[in-house]
Amino acid sequence: MNDRTESLLLALPGLLLLVLAFFMPIGQMLILSVSGPDGVTLSHFVRFLSDPFYLGILWRTVRLSLVITIICAAIGFPLAYIMARVGPKLRLWLVVMVILPLMTSVVVRTFGWMVLLSRSGMIPEMLRDMGLVGRSFALMQTEAAIVIGMVQVLLPFMTLSILGVITRIDGRLEEAARTMGCSFLQSFRTVVLPLALPGIVAGSLLCFTLSASSFVTPNLLGGTRIQVLAASIYKSVTQTPDWPFAAAQAVILFAGILLVLVPYIKMTGPKDG
Amino acid sequence: MVRSIPTWLRVAAFVFVLATALILLAPLFVVIGVSISESQFIAFPPNGLSLRWYQQVLSSNAYLGAGWISIQIALMVTVLATLIGGAAAVAIHRRQLIFSDLLATVFLSPLVLPTIIYAIGMLMFWSAAFGPVSPITLALSHTIIALPYVVRTTLAVLAESDPFLEEAARTMGANRLQRLSFVVVPQCIPGLAAGAFFAFNISFDEAVLSLFLRGPTLTTLPVQIYGQLEFSPDPSVAAVSSIMIALTVILIFVIDRMLGLTRFASA
Repeated sequence: MNDRTESLLLALPGLLLLVLAFFMPIGQMLILSVSGPDGVTLSHFVRFLSDPFYLGILWRTVRLSLVITIICAAIGFPLAYIMARVGPKLRLWLVVMVILPLMTSVVVRTFGWMVLLSRSGMIPEMLRDMGLVGRSFALMQTEAAIVIGMVQVLLPFMTLSILGVITRIDGRLEEAARTMGCSFLQSFRTVVLPLALPGIVAGSLLCFTLSASSFVTPNLLGGTRIQVLAASIYKSVTQTPDWPFAAAQAVILFAGILLVLVPYIKMTGPKDG
Repeated sequence: MVRSIPTWLRVAAFVFVLATALILLAPLFVVIGVSISESQFIAFPPNGLSLRWYQQVLSSNAYLGAGWISIQIALMVTVLATLIGGAAAVAIHRRQLIFSDLLATVFLSPLVLPTIIYAIGMLMFWSAAFGPVSPITLALSHTIIALPYVVRTTLAVLAESDPFLEEAARTMGANRLQRLSFVVVPQCIPGLAAGAFFAFNISFDEAVLSLFLRGPTLTTLPVQIYGQLEFSPDPSVAAVSSIMIALTVILIFVIDRMLGLTRFASA
């Protein structure tokens, strides 16, 4: 046995598992999305793309994902910067603050928001008491509820993506800018922001992808009336059930995500993962 | 002259971090608060203190059954993902295969594909090829999404390891199996351990695959909670959720003590 055979043997169980339980299932889904009662058909795609109801779902998914991603980036970037620049002790606490929700089940976190946002929950009550909203104000079953819940779910992903890049920025660059007379905000804008951009872009793509494909939080906070694409897929699998149509919707979701991802991968090249 | 960071900015940063902490942690505290409430209904802030919802969970067959299934599946996933992912990471690290760059991409690809798309594929393929889904199906699918984490943590540790140790063992006459088990695996241990903890956590908390691949006797804890939340949430859901949060806290503590949390957070 030579070295190459040994490496191959080490990778083999994983490759087998991936083929059998990952690549073949995806292939099966692709096939199913174009299969009808008599051979190959595009009717499932036509049905989705010609129905205003489903186009509305698609548009809502894109719109909400964009809003969620932008809010996450706006909070995640300064947070990651602060995490990178504070002392080690405080940094550990901030990391815990980010990782604890990340490692808690999405179902549990969404439950917390259901309690906070419900009609008699703390947040609507507070807004009503402050006189900012009317008596009949409700947050549950609105798009706002989905955005609030999803930002909390995805903020850790964004923060950690940016943190990875910011910790690698040479601190002396900032010092140089400051000794040359930059104010803190100037050096933040002209030195840190451009250097952190790859992290912000990567984090945004991750957030967008995860947000466009999640249904647990949107389903529980938005209710069945406000459907997103992933929720519609889940419904087609479990309630209708119409598997080929579900597969077609999944392909549309995947195509949309690739549309966003591919320019980025081309731009950054394959050198870093 | 270097102008110092203005005070208002420091104050703003402090307030910002506090507000973010509130957003990130509020749902968790609320769940714990609800779980210790006296009230029949879900209420926060809790009125009255009581542990009766925990008592109810511990005597509920539905929760105990789901919890047991979740633990069994998570343990299977931990073992499978750690063994398979660790071996793959060593193969990727050695770069002897002509397609080793591709190999890394292939092993990390489950990270890129949204879980819901994979879940549908798995459900359709498995029921067409092998019949109704079983705990094995669910465990294998969880293993797939946990694999990239094990591969990553192990690769991160291997990148810092000394390549000449294995070379030295070879010149001293150690055979392949001896080199693997006495040199390579010990070097990988921190990465493997971190990967194993992540794998357990991913499987135990995972809801999407578990919702698609569920069956009458195959309901994991997150699926059980999801079902309750959709129809009739009562404070016992909060009690189960709090137990899950406690488990996460313990896991994070262990990872930090054993390996250092910040190291893997910014990797």
